[in-house]
Amino acid sequence: MTALEARSLTRRFGRFTAVDAVDLRVDRGEIVGLLGANGAGKTTLMRMVLGLLEPTSGSVALFGSPPSRATRLRIGYLPQNLGLYRDLTVAENLRFAAGVYGVTPAEAPPGTAATLVGDLSLGMQRRVAFAVALQHSPDLLVLDEPTSGVAPLARARLWERIRAAAGDGAAVLVSTHAMDEARQTDRLVLMHLGRVVGTGTEHEVVGNASAVVVRARRWADTFAALEAAEIPASLSGDALRVAGADADGVAAVLADAGIDARVETVPATLEEAMVLAGSRS
Amino acid sequence: MTWGVRDLTVDYGAARALDGVTVAAPAGEVTVVVGGDGAGKSTLLRVLAGIPVPHRGEVSRPDPRRIAFVPTGSGTIQDLTVAENLDFVARAYRLRHWRERADRLLERTDLASFRDRLGRELSGGMRQKLGVIMGMLPSPDLIVLDEPTTGVDPVSRSEVWRLLAAAAGEQAALLVASTYLDEAERASTVVVLHRGRVLLSGTPAQVSSSLAGSIVDVDRPSDPSLAWPRGARWREWRPGGDPGGVRPDLEDVVIAASLAVEEGPS
Amino acid sequence: MLAMILKEFRQVRRDKRTLAMMIMLPIMLLIVFGYAARFDIPEIRTAVLGPAADQAARALQEPFDVVEIDPSATAETAETLLRDGDAVVAIVTGEDPTVYVDGTELFTAQSALRRAGALPDDVAVEILFNPDLSTSAVMVPALIGLVLLAMGTVVTSLGVVRERQDGTLEQLAVMPLRPRDVIAGKIAPYFLVGLVDLAVITIVGLWLFDVPFRGSVLAFAAGVFLFLFAVLGIGVLISTLSRTQGEAIQLAIMTLLPQVLLSGMIFPLYSMPPGIRWIAYLLPLTYFTMIARGIFLKATPLDALAFPYLALVVLAVVVFGIAVLRFRRDLAPARSRPVEEVSM
Repeated sequence: MTALEARSLTRRFGRFTAVDAVDLRVDRGEIVGLLGANGAGKTTLMRMVLGLLEPTSGSVALFGSPPSRATRLRIGYLPQNLGLYRDLTVAENLRFAAGVYGVTPAEAPPGTAATLVGDLSLGMQRRVAFAVALQHSPDLLVLDEPTSGVAPLARARLWERIRAAAGDGAAVLVSTHAMDEARQTDRLVLMHLGRVVGTGTEHEVVGNASAVVVRARRWADTFAALEAAEIPASLSGDALRVAGADADGVAAVLADAGIDARVETVPATLEEAMVLAGSRS
Repeated sequence: MTWGVRDLTVDYGAARALDGVTVAAPAGEVTVVVGGDGAGKSTLLRVLAGIPVPHRGEVSRPDPRRIAFVPTGSGTIQDLTVAENLDFVARAYRLRHWRERADRLLERTDLASFRDRLGRELSGGMRQKLGVIMGMLPSPDLIVLDEPTTGVDPVSRSEVWRLLAAAAGEQAALLVASTYLDEAERASTVVVLHRGRVLLSGTPAQVSSSLAGSIVDVDRPSDPSLAWPRGARWREWRPGGDPGGVRPDLEDVVIAASLAVEEGPS
Repeated sequence: MLAMILKEFRQVRRDKRTLAMMIMLPIMLLIVFGYAARFDIPEIRTAVLGPAADQAARALQEPFDVVEIDPSATAETAETLLRDGDAVVAIVTGEDPTVYVDGTELFTAQSALRRAGALPDDVAVEILFNPDLSTSAVMVPALIGLVLLAMGTVVTSLGVVRERQDGTLEQLAVMPLRPRDVIAGKIAPYFLVGLVDLAVITIVGLWLFDVPFRGSVLAFAAGVFLFLFAVLGIGVLISTLSRTQGEAIQLAIMTLLPQVLLSGMIFPLYSMPPGIRWIAYLLPLTYFTMIARGIFLKATPLDALAFPYLALVVLAVVVFGIAVLRFRRDLAPARSRPVEEVSM
C-alpha cells in the first residue's frame, strides 16, 4: 500500500532547476531515507511532498490523491527545530496539536506535563516533539534530521519509536545527513543536483565504489605528498583513505615522493560513495 | 607535546558537569569525544580551550594565542563576508602574512569562490568549513571543535575532515566533540563521556573490543531493555556472553556501555 | 581592538534597518518639527450668521477665513456648525451678538479669544463643548487611540514574529490549518485585550480627568472596532516584514512616531502645510482622533463623521488585505518563493 508516490516531480525557480524529474515512493510500513548534499534538492522535494510548495510539473499523490487539507490530517511532520512552542507546557503543546488534528491528546512523558518546553533538556524536548508528531497516528511520517546531535543510546531509543510507528503501518520518510541514521532505514534515496542518483540499501547504493587505504609510518608526509598531487585524502586513525582512487596510481605518486607505504583497495563507505556520486557530475 | 586534562571536575552550582575526567590530546592526532547532551562534552572543550570555567584538577594547554576554539554553530559572524571573517581572526590573533595561508585553506573547499558571501547566506556546511578555517588560520598548537559536523551534509563533512587532517598534519592537537560514531571510528583516540564521567577510552579498535559480554543480531529481542534497532533487525547485548555474537562496532559498544551504566534517554 | 571596531562597522553597515532608523528618524523629526509643529494658527474657519452677516463678514480680516455666510441662521445653527466641525468660530449677529468658539480646538480657540478682546463689550463670547479649555479633555480621547495603536501594532507584530523565530511557523503550514484560521487565532487575544484596555482607559479618563462623554456609545464602539482592525492589520503586516522580534519593534516604532506627531493629536492638522498634511490622511490615528474627540466632547452625529469612518474602513480593508496576502505566502508559499538550501 503506497502512502506517498511522487512521479517525475520537478520544481524550477526561474532558470534554476531544484528538483529534476524525481520519482519517489514510500509504502506503508517502510522507512525510506533521503540523502543528499546541500543544493541536492532534498529540502525542496520535501516541501513539495508536504504540500508547502507547488511542483512545476509532475505529480505528488498522498494516499492516492493530490495534496489537500484532508491529506494533511494524515501526515505527521517533525522539523529539524522540533516545531514546539517553548513558552507553552508539554501538555499544552500536545493539546494544541490534538485540537488541530481532531484527536484526543496523548499522555505527556511522566512528570513533564506541566513543564514549559523551553525548560526541558534537549533530549526530553525531542521526546516530546516525537510524541506530538505521532499523536494523531499519521499514515505518513516525515522526519527532518530526527536524531541530529543526539547521543548513541538516546538515538537508538528514538529509532525504536520510529520502527514502532512503521510497524503500526505508517510510511516513514527520513531526511538525513548522518550515516548513522542512514543505516537505520530500509531503503535509501540518494539525490544530487536535483536528481536521484542512487537508490536501494546501503550496500546497493555503495555498489562497487571503492577507496584506497594508505598505511605509512609517517602519515603527515604521506598526506602532504597526496595533497601535492591533488589527491584528496582523509585521515582514518593513523591511515589515510582516498575515495574513488586507483590503487596503482596512488602507489605511483607515493613512490615518486619517496614514501614507503602499503596501498590497498577496499569498499567505499556510504559517505565516500556519496561524495563520489557528487563529484562525478 | 600532549595537551589535556587530568582529574578534571567542574560543578555548575549543584550540578556536576564533569567528574574526575582525564583526557589527553596529543599533537598531530585527532581525539574524538563522544557523548549526549548533558554528558559534559562542551564543558570539557571549554576548559581545554581556556574559557574561564571554575574547575578542579590539572589542565595542560598551550598559550591562548596558540589555541583555537570552534564552537557549535561555527563561530562565524553572520553579518560579515567570508573574507571579512578571516580578516577579523587575523587581526584578533595579530597575524602577519596570513592571506596566502587563508587562500590555500579556502581552496581546499568550495568556499574559495564565495569570498564575498555573507556569513548568514552560507549553508550550514559552508559555515562550518569557514569556522574550521578560521580556527586553523593562526596555525594553533591546539584546536578544539565542538560538534563541527552535526547536521552538516556528507560532502561538506568530508571537506571538514580533510581540513582537520591537514591541521593534524601540521602537528596541531585536535580535540573534537561529536555524536557521529562513524567519525569516532576514524579518530586516533575515542573518549566516551556519559554524565560527566569517562565511560570508555582508547583507540577505536581497543574500545570496540573492550565490551564485556557479546552482541547478537536478532529478529526480535528477548530482553527489550538491552536491545536496540539496527535497520530492520535488532542488536541485543548479552552481558553473560553468547556464542552467536557478532563483532561489535563502536556504536554497539557505546550503546551497551551506556546501558550498563544506566537505562533511560539522556 | 582595531579588529573589533572594524568588525562592528562592517556589521552595522549591513544592518539596513538600524541604519535607516538612525538616519531617517532624526531627519523625519526635523522635518516634522520644522513644518508640522506649529502652534500658530494660519487660518480660523469662521461662519458668520444673523442679519448683519454680510457686513460682519466684510469686516473680518486675517486670520479669520469666512467659510459660510448665512443671514437667516440662528444660534442653533452656530452650534451645529461647530459640532460638526464645519467651522471653528461662529459669529451670530443681530440682537444678542455672540461669538461661539469651539473649545475642542485649543489653539484656535485661544487665538480667537485673544482677538475677541478687541470686540465691543456687548458682544458675548461663548466657548462651546470645552468651556474651561481643558487640555486633558482634548488629549484623553486621542490618547485612547494612541494606546490602542501602540499596543496593537507592537504586540501583534511580536506575536507573529515569535512564531517565525521559534520555527513553529513551518509546523503550522504543514498542519491542516487555513491561513485565515491562523491569523484569526493570532489577533483574537489582542483584540480582546485591546477592548479591555479601551474600557480601562476610558473609565479612568472619564473619572480621573473629568472628561465628558456626550455622544453615542454605539458610534464610538464602531469607531474603535474599525480602528482596531486597521491597527492589528498593521501589526500583522509588520510581522510579515520582520525576521526577528527586534526588527518588528523597530518597524513598529517607525510607524508609531509619525502618527504621534502628525495625526492631529498634538499639533492641529490645519496648521500643517499641505505638503506635510497629506501624510496625516494616511494614518489611522488621525481619523480615530477626529472620531473620538467628536463623540466624547461634541456629541457629533454619525453623518457628520462620515469621512473619518469611511477612511478607517478603507484603511482597515487595504492594510488587512495586504497583511493577509503576505501572511498567506508565509504559510503556504505555493508558487514562487525561492527556497534557500540552508541546512543546519
